[in-house]
Amino acid sequence: MPEIKVTPLGAGQDVGRSCILVSIGGKNIMLDCGMHMGYNDDRRFPDFSYITQNGRLTEFLDCVIISHFHLDHCGALPYMSEMVGYDGPIYMTHPTKAICPILLEDFRKITVDKKGETNFFTSQMIKDCMKKVIPLNLHQTVQVDDELEIKAYYAGHVLGAAMVHIKVGSESVVYTGDYNMTPDRHLGAAWIDKCRPDILISESTYATTIRDSKRCRERDFLKKVHETIERGGKVLIPVFALGRAQELCILLETFWERMNLKAPIYFSTGLTEKANHYYKLFITWTNQKIRKTFVQRNMFEFKHIKAFDRSYADNPGPMVVFATPGMLHAGQSLQIFKKWAGNEKNMVIMPGYCVQGTIGHKILNGQRKLEMEGRATLDVKLQVEYMSFSAHADAKGIMQLIRMAEPRNMLLVHGEAAKMEFLKGKIEQEFNINCYMPANGETETVTTNPSVPVDISLNLLKREMALGGPLPDTKKPRTMHGTLIMKENSLRLVSPEQALKELGLNEHQLRFTCRVQLQDPHSDSDTLHRIYTHLKSVLKGYTIQHLPDSTVMVESIVIKLSSSAEDPNTKVLLLSWSYQVIDLSYSQLLLNIRKKLTCSR
Amino acid sequence: MGEMDAAEFDDVVDDWFIESLKTYKDLHVYQLEHPTRVIEWTSGKTVCVAGYRSAKNELLELLLPLKLLAEENKGLCAERDFKVVHGGFAEGPVHCLRHIPGTRCAVTNDGRSSGLQVWDLGGDDSDVIRRTASVAGRSASGRGSRIAAGLSSDPRVLHGAESSDVLLTDLTSGQSVYKLKSDAADPLSSLQFVSDSVFLACCCSGNIYTVDTRASDAPRPSPPPATGGGDGVLWCADASPSSAGGAGRVARLSSSGEAVLSDLRDLGGAVSRARLDVLIDHHNWDDVKVSWAPALDDCIAASGFSGTVQIYDTSAWAAEPAAARPLFEHRGHVVSSQRADSLPVLVTSHVWHPERPRTLLSAAADGSVHVWDWVDQSAAAC
Repeated sequence: MPEIKVTPLGAGQDVGRSCILVSIGGKNIMLDCGMHMGYNDDRRFPDFSYITQNGRLTEFLDCVIISHFHLDHCGALPYMSEMVGYDGPIYMTHPTKAICPILLEDFRKITVDKKGETNFFTSQMIKDCMKKVIPLNLHQTVQVDDELEIKAYYAGHVLGAAMVHIKVGSESVVYTGDYNMTPDRHLGAAWIDKCRPDILISESTYATTIRDSKRCRERDFLKKVHETIERGGKVLIPVFALGRAQELCILLETFWERMNLKAPIYFSTGLTEKANHYYKLFITWTNQKIRKTFVQRNMFEFKHIKAFDRSYADNPGPMVVFATPGMLHAGQSLQIFKKWAGNEKNMVIMPGYCVQGTIGHKILNGQRKLEMEGRATLDVKLQVEYMSFSAHADAKGIMQLIRMAEPRNMLLVHGEAAKMEFLKGKIEQEFNINCYMPANGETETVTTNPSVPVDISLNLLKREMALGGPLPDTKKPRTMHGTLIMKENSLRLVSPEQALKELGLNEHQLRFTCRVQLQDPHSDSDTLHRIYTHLKSVLKGYTIQHLPDSTVMVESIVIKLSSSAEDPNTKVLLLSWSYQVIDLSYSQLLLNIRKKLTCSR
Repeated sequence: MGEMDAAEFDDVVDDWFIESLKTYKDLHVYQLEHPTRVIEWTSGKTVCVAGYRSAKNELLELLLPLKLLAEENKGLCAERDFKVVHGGFAEGPVHCLRHIPGTRCAVTNDGRSSGLQVWDLGGDDSDVIRRTASVAGRSASGRGSRIAAGLSSDPRVLHGAESSDVLLTDLTSGQSVYKLKSDAADPLSSLQFVSDSVFLACCCSGNIYTVDTRASDAPRPSPPPATGGGDGVLWCADASPSSAGGAGRVARLSSSGEAVLSDLRDLGGAVSRARLDVLIDHHNWDDVKVSWAPALDDCIAASGFSGTVQIYDTSAWAAEPAAARPLFEHRGHVVSSQRADSLPVLVTSHVWHPERPRTLLSAAADGSVHVWDWVDQSAAAC
């Protein structure tokens, strides 16, 4: 049976890293290679022993595809390619290729330099890994090899995030990665055509939430900033890259204008350098429907937002500063944080996830005393706010995506089957498709029903139709005879004669004969005649002829009579037939004749 | 929507949203796949909603966002979403849904017949809400039944479509343990227990029956105090929980916007009245609702006349009806309505949080569900 196998790597109910193996049409593909951010030991890496117990992965995988630059989707990539070993192609979109190595390097620095860990990938390994990357454009079909092709679709969520369509022969799978179905200020909504994949693979976490609106999140952000400014405090917003930072800037700019606020807003220099580079990438990537204001606006022509100088951090009075890096682990944002942390009128707003080991992570866990270099302690008195702006789909979104793609089967990863029975029922009922939920480490085998297209020669078709009988009906298949020629990627059904001609072969005729012996005192011709009349009476409905050359023919079976030289009463009947296509009626007929002949005297 | 409309739309939202920075402490806006007319607490942190389309509908039990519920370290919690913790399917619309306290059981009615469906909301081991039983009603009127959960320790449900067919059914045995004796087939607007054995049957005519299930004689209804509204006025009502030092009060609200507060012991008389600041449209009666705040003295909420929910402080009301201004008006559903046409969106339901004084949930006909904690901007404490 044709089947596709899907295995989310990991163990138990663990959510926190994405790494899914798909076997389709004899090809093995790894989807994402994420790091589990909750562990400090080897459990943070996916368990590749499923693929092979030891040794390199190159011969076991046809390709690796990374959906976007978040660490829980790409964090283990250099480990996989350089420490476990994989030299095959790694596919990702252009923005992902540009941003991934920066995040990986940051992550490596924090984990190795700050936390002193070993068994981690090096800077060189990140570089070597990225050399294996082949970038993807949206909606462009890429041939990984003769049989495997992939195509990236826009997923929204973050800059460069893609959903991926994988096809081998007539079987296909779509993996969504992280996506969202409602447009953001700077990202559009995910989109895919009615590609009808055999399986649509997605995260189950989305399916059981109902998202609070984007405007309410923004409202909370503005409220917090405004309250802090009103009491004379300073707001620090550590950000990483373009996209979210720009969105928040536009929001503040509009708000400042509307409320006629005077407090300064600053954008740190480290950010502007990086941002220009990404901005160019961003423009080529976002040929989707994005708000005109966002794309047309020049990065730094804000009325109320100015470039930051580090001396400003000591200025009295309220202000808002956007600074890198995003997790407060080094650089300017950390410097500013150290200056402002001791004042309870101030605030730090963390707009995203922080890796373990960073100051960001510690303060988000409620730590109010931090150990800094030189054993100095920092009292954290300012207000800490954690706000999540990342765009994710929810229960409604997943239904919308299924409606768009029309998969034949649905597969959800990273959920507990017992807690998802309702969702499974909902999907199965609404779309009449199966919904699978493999646990981590378990393989789900989905049987597919690929249609195999075959071209039939017109002559053959006409001939079969001319044989009469009812016209072909999908509910009542009719047996037909032909020769199937499989050449390159095409399948053709032609008549046997044409096939022989094309192949340059001669047709061989086969003739079978069997002997039946019986005793009869009559003359040869008399006996034959009696056989003839007997057969005519018992084999009704068949064409029976007594021919002048002393043969009897039943349809196309020839019966000849001769007598033994020694004993004229011993008659020998030879039944002879040519090799027709074994038709049931013919073999029945033969059996019948033999029976009748041996029975009747 | 063209580019211009999108920008205009955003402007409207912008203004109201910016105003909301001062007027709400917390605000969450959600969009369900299908609108609900029911919001029912099933625990301190979960509510049930359900669809009302004519054929198949979903029942959902939603966990409120952690950020809203967090008391300490609220800032460190980023979680703002509803979590669907249990779900199930109903064969018809759900017009009324009640949770039986102390159980994982809920009872629904489809609004077009008198029978009830009984559901098991599910536990930790499964996320499916399953139908476990049905309870027959007495009415053949084709009206939907109102439902009230009993307050005694045995799981009981009070139901009926008209005053002549009210039944109290024990859910364990499926048997009815009390029948209201009444010849008048007065259509009901609500049923409510005020103590273990006393319940109110509030009729659309404004009559309220105070029924003691231990008494044997047929109760007599109390008509509403005479008001300015003419014939055809419909009434809904809500009883407040007994406050320390006195019996509870009942608030009645008419389709002409008249509010009447009465003492539970004297439902024929009015303690105070007011004319609410609402749009009157007699076509939209079905979802009009009035409710007492469980944790805020003298405050009531009213919704269903339009796309807003209004909060009134009744302590200032007098015996003579006068125009009342709301203490607060939640306009979120109107402002963020996603309807393509310009028809106003109606609020289908609202509930107060049982403990947090100013937190409410409201739902509207466009599928929106809002959770909001409003700020009392008036000088007087409420």
